[in-house]
Amino acid sequence: MQQKSEKRQLGQRRNRLRTCRTDKRTMAQRRISGGKLFITVVYLVAMCRAVPVNDLLDRASQRSDKMHSLSTLLTQEMDSHFPPYGRMQMPRPADCHTSALQTPNDKEQALQVSESDLMSLARSLLQAWVDPLAVLSTSAITLPHPSKSSISSKIQELQEHSKSLADGLDILSGKMGPSAQAISFLPYTGGTDLGQDRVTILNKFNFLLSCLRRDSHKIDSFLKVLRCRAAKLQPELC
Amino acid sequence: MKKVGEVVLLWLLILFIHNAAGEGYSPPGKPTNISCRSPEKETFTCWWKPGSDGGLPTTYALYYRKEGSQRVFECPDYKTAGKNSCFFSKNVTFVWVNYNITVVATNSRGRAFSDPVDIDVVYIVKPNPPEEVVVNVTEDKDWPFLQVSWKPPKMADTRSGWITLFYEVRLKLENKNKWEEVSAGQRKTLQIYSLRSGGTYEVQVRCKPDHGFWSEWSPSSRVKVPEYFPQERSMWILIVVFAAFILVIFIWMVYMNFHSVKRYLLPPVPGPKIKGIDKQFLKSGKSEDIFSSLVVSDFPPTTSNYEDFLVQYLEVYVPEERELIMDEGKDLQDDSFKTENSTCDNDSGRGSCDSHTLLTDKGGGDKEDGQQSDQEGSQAEADTKSQEEALEEELLACSHENLQSSNVSNEKEKVKSWPSLFSPLPQYSLSPVNRPNPPKTGQQHCLSDSLFTPNSMPSYFTQPGPSTRKGFRSNYWECSFDHKQSHPLHPQSAAHEHLQAQNDLNTAHVDYMGAPLDVHVLNVRPSEYVEVQRVSVEDGVLLHPVSPSQEDSRTLSHQTEDYSRVRVVNNDNGLLLLQRDAIEEEKSMCPYQEDVVSRASITPTLQNSATGINIALPILDEMAASGYIDTATMFGLPTH
Repeated sequence: MQQKSEKRQLGQRRNRLRTCRTDKRTMAQRRISGGKLFITVVYLVAMCRAVPVNDLLDRASQRSDKMHSLSTLLTQEMDSHFPPYGRMQMPRPADCHTSALQTPNDKEQALQVSESDLMSLARSLLQAWVDPLAVLSTSAITLPHPSKSSISSKIQELQEHSKSLADGLDILSGKMGPSAQAISFLPYTGGTDLGQDRVTILNKFNFLLSCLRRDSHKIDSFLKVLRCRAAKLQPELC
Repeated sequence: MKKVGEVVLLWLLILFIHNAAGEGYSPPGKPTNISCRSPEKETFTCWWKPGSDGGLPTTYALYYRKEGSQRVFECPDYKTAGKNSCFFSKNVTFVWVNYNITVVATNSRGRAFSDPVDIDVVYIVKPNPPEEVVVNVTEDKDWPFLQVSWKPPKMADTRSGWITLFYEVRLKLENKNKWEEVSAGQRKTLQIYSLRSGGTYEVQVRCKPDHGFWSEWSPSSRVKVPEYFPQERSMWILIVVFAAFILVIFIWMVYMNFHSVKRYLLPPVPGPKIKGIDKQFLKSGKSEDIFSSLVVSDFPPTTSNYEDFLVQYLEVYVPEERELIMDEGKDLQDDSFKTENSTCDNDSGRGSCDSHTLLTDKGGGDKEDGQQSDQEGSQAEADTKSQEEALEEELLACSHENLQSSNVSNEKEKVKSWPSLFSPLPQYSLSPVNRPNPPKTGQQHCLSDSLFTPNSMPSYFTQPGPSTRKGFRSNYWECSFDHKQSHPLHPQSAAHEHLQAQNDLNTAHVDYMGAPLDVHVLNVRPSEYVEVQRVSVEDGVLLHPVSPSQEDSRTLSHQTEDYSRVRVVNNDNGLLLLQRDAIEEEKSMCPYQEDVVSRASITPTLQNSATGINIALPILDEMAASGYIDTATMFGLPTH
């Protein structure tokens, strides 16, 4: 229910922001550097008298936090009943379909990324998981796992969160300029079928969930970095 | 042969010794429990648990491999984190990268490999405890509270948002074992209330990243809460004591004034009221005002003229007993006359002026309101009372003597009494009349409207000749009332009782002047009408009580007509009786005037009122709810 309320609030903010978007986009396009761009974003927001960006970012980061928590629970739930002998070697996250996306690997790198890039990365990752989540959702129903119902419900919840977060980030990125709106295309090539035998299916499932866990953590981290950057006026949060 | 056996034995010995020498050493055991933690998501440390060392010095080495690469690295730092640990600095720490870590134990006998462990730095964050925990005791209107503040651990970079920390505070009393935990969110300060006065508290803080592990608790910070008195309790005690005190006082007051409170809440039921008479006004005790309200103002002669009136009365000779009675009546009249300005009541259709009222009023002047405005009244009161009894006896004697016709039964007599006015009267009404002042008594007789039924007798009421001087003493119908004895002799105690239909007895003394006066003393009961049976030629009027039945039937119809009034006294022996109609014109029916009329001359004071036969009938009407003593009815004229 909290998710729905958050979704509602986010939707309301989107409506308000859309009105300002067209007017301010032209002005925003003149800015180039990330820092100036960010200040411009704040300025535009002030002019628009819309919902402040830091508030939007706060809501977005909360949504991403919830997503990551769900994915962590999913992996734990999968491991609790996964027969250890049947488990294959830990899937190498380098094989994730999103590994092609260049993301910062440490803190220094992450802090050097511009806000627009961070936003772009987050949005790209989020977009990359729309299809896999659908595959996971369909596979969870017939998953040879004792707690497949719980897993299935969590995956559905994940989908909802992902959808609403994507909408919110669309609005946010619209405030931050065109570079923020660029999304890297990361297609999922795993197909709709996870496998034939039980072990294969479970392994594939596990593999996807681990990839999801990481990517959701990335999204969450990026948004929280953005939140602290936008909350210069509220240092108590960061 | 022997040489070969010795060589074999030697070989066996050498082997055996050789073997025995190498038994204490073995390859090391496998290291276990590899755990890694990162305090700030920038570095991390791994610890392992070594296995048996196999008796030989064993070295441990940690090798790791990053995902997507087969290159093996060894731990760069074995010392920073202590023994059996490996510290990964920033340079070698990468986030969102899986590390495959393996620990190898090596000794001279061999080596042992631990189970590989995959970790991702971002999942193993366990920050350091918060630092600079400061606890202050702050006073807030005598209610102290703890102000706890802290700083995030140094290494954690929360400013940039790289790490988001949530904090938690716990505290307990120093000598207790139970901790109280309070979540503080992302804030760095916290207020704690509801402290025990004089207690010493220990406060600890810890933190947790958004996705990670709780830190260790910070070192305890001790603080002592000063003594403070919980005023709340003392205030309540004061309030309770005060309320109890007030309650006790209230109960005592109610107890002391119980009766008055009870009377206030449940007032006594008042009795029937006299129509047209203001009870309170009567209670006021001003007899003058009261009389004035009842009688036309111009009627009542002033006390100054009282003596004159008395003088003007015709003296009628009567036998001793009657004289007594008459005297009594006169006394009564005096009293009533004084105290009663007017017996007229406008409300009453019948002649409300009544000599009886005067009589009663006189006698019961103090009855009305306890006021005795009339000296004579007060004076005569005592007399009247004594006289009253005598009068009563007289009446009884008379009645029995003279009463002949059954019609003169007392039942006919209907007395409507003005309670207040007549109340005194009964006392003395029954007593034989003593006539201290014949004129006086005669004067007091206020004969109200009607005396005789027109049909029953002519309107003349002749007085006995010889005693004409005395005037028409016959103002009083002296009736012996059998029943009245019981009533009127009781002094009216309460003023309000007067207004009720008391059995005030108005003795009407009919003085039949002269010996031959055929005085019919009617034994009339209070509520009886007296009907004039016949008029004796000379000087008598025969009155007979009207039967109640007759009375009831005819009273209403005839009352208006039946009253007659003595209009004028032609001579010492005659009285002119007016019809009712004429009477009604005149309001005042005061006996005074009538008494005056009894004289040969009509005094000016009697102008306004028709003079009537001052027949004061002590008529008490028990049933007179209105409390009137209707003179008309008293005389039983109409029907009656």
